[in-house]
Amino acid sequence: MTHRLFRLPVLAGICLALAPAAWAHHSQSEYDLKGKVEVEGTVTKVEWKSPHAWVYVDVTDDKGQTVNWSFELPSPVTLMRRGWTRDSLKPGDRISVAGAPARNFPAIAIANSIRDSTGKPLFTGTTKTYEQ
Amino acid sequence: MLLVWASTPVVAGAQWLNYPTPGIPRLATGAPDLKAPAPRTPDGKPDFSGMWFANVPSKDYCREKDCIQEERMAREQINLGLNLKGGLPYTEWSREQMKIRGANGGREDPHSYCMPPNFPRAWTLPQHSRIVQTPGMLVILHEFNAAYREVYLDGRPLPVNPNPTWNGYSTGHWEGDTLVIETNGIRDDMWLDIQGSPVTESARITERLKRPNFGLMQVEIAVNDPKAYTRPWSVTIEMAIQVDTQMLEEICLDNERDTKLYKK
Repeated sequence: MTHRLFRLPVLAGICLALAPAAWAHHSQSEYDLKGKVEVEGTVTKVEWKSPHAWVYVDVTDDKGQTVNWSFELPSPVTLMRRGWTRDSLKPGDRISVAGAPARNFPAIAIANSIRDSTGKPLFTGTTKTYEQ
Repeated sequence: MLLVWASTPVVAGAQWLNYPTPGIPRLATGAPDLKAPAPRTPDGKPDFSGMWFANVPSKDYCREKDCIQEERMAREQINLGLNLKGGLPYTEWSREQMKIRGANGGREDPHSYCMPPNFPRAWTLPQHSRIVQTPGMLVILHEFNAAYREVYLDGRPLPVNPNPTWNGYSTGHWEGDTLVIETNGIRDDMWLDIQGSPVTESARITERLKRPNFGLMQVEIAVNDPKAYTRPWSVTIEMAIQVDTQMLEEICLDNERDTKLYKK
């Protein structure tokens, strides 16, 4: 996917790592945004707090071990403006998550897609806005 | 006019996120009449009161199809001089600062560490602002860290040698229908944008606010900072009115975890 941000005239050396998110309070350089993580598991906890919501997911790996993954979401404020609430995702929910992994830590990622057990995408609403 | 109604799954009673804003001009459809004349105060001045967000479309900058990480923001959040021919006129000192600031992927940005949403950068941030205008003072509230900024309209002069702060010290006066805000006394270590454009204690910042109609506010930001820039410069940020919604508290230190992920 071509990212329009990358066509902006930014200084050399400050490019992909600084591509921000609307909800972000940080540079996101802690994530390998070209990397890909895809897991399926059970929600164990949801942190509905600023500056970012986090969802924790128990995932069974190839060896049968359970690994608790942490996925970063937009801020609760952004999610609420897009129609979601602190109860939209609950412990016990089965979900699949795709995202980009943290560079320096295992089992941590930023979520780009979350789907429920039927494959329905979650957290995908857009903000109501008026533009001229 | 392009009016965007979101396909948002509306949650009834979710605070006041969909509660109709009273007393605003509306079309027959019930949508706000963005082209209606700007409201005025009893003394005839334009009234900037209301909630504002950068005039950018929803579903902007979606990274993936599902668009969880919607990147809706003013483009100038990355580079405030984006639309300035030749870019911002950095001094050599500024360029050196930006090399340092950019060396680690911009992770030293004060905003990453939950520092205040300093103006004029705050106009470009992805949180909402609310202006409360009274005859003697304009108050600007900002969702990030539930911050505030005062702009005195009572004719007082700017302070001499003030203690530097994140928002500095602001006074405003009217030039016709334009509110001219002058600011000094800001800190020496602030960033104007994500790429780390500096602004220093020597800066004098002038913001010119215009409201051409109900839906739009134009904020011209002029910076005169001889330490950081070789000449004065100005850019204009467009802000769109936000109605039928409310300010939402976003306290960054509540659960800030990202800075701990920068280094192992």
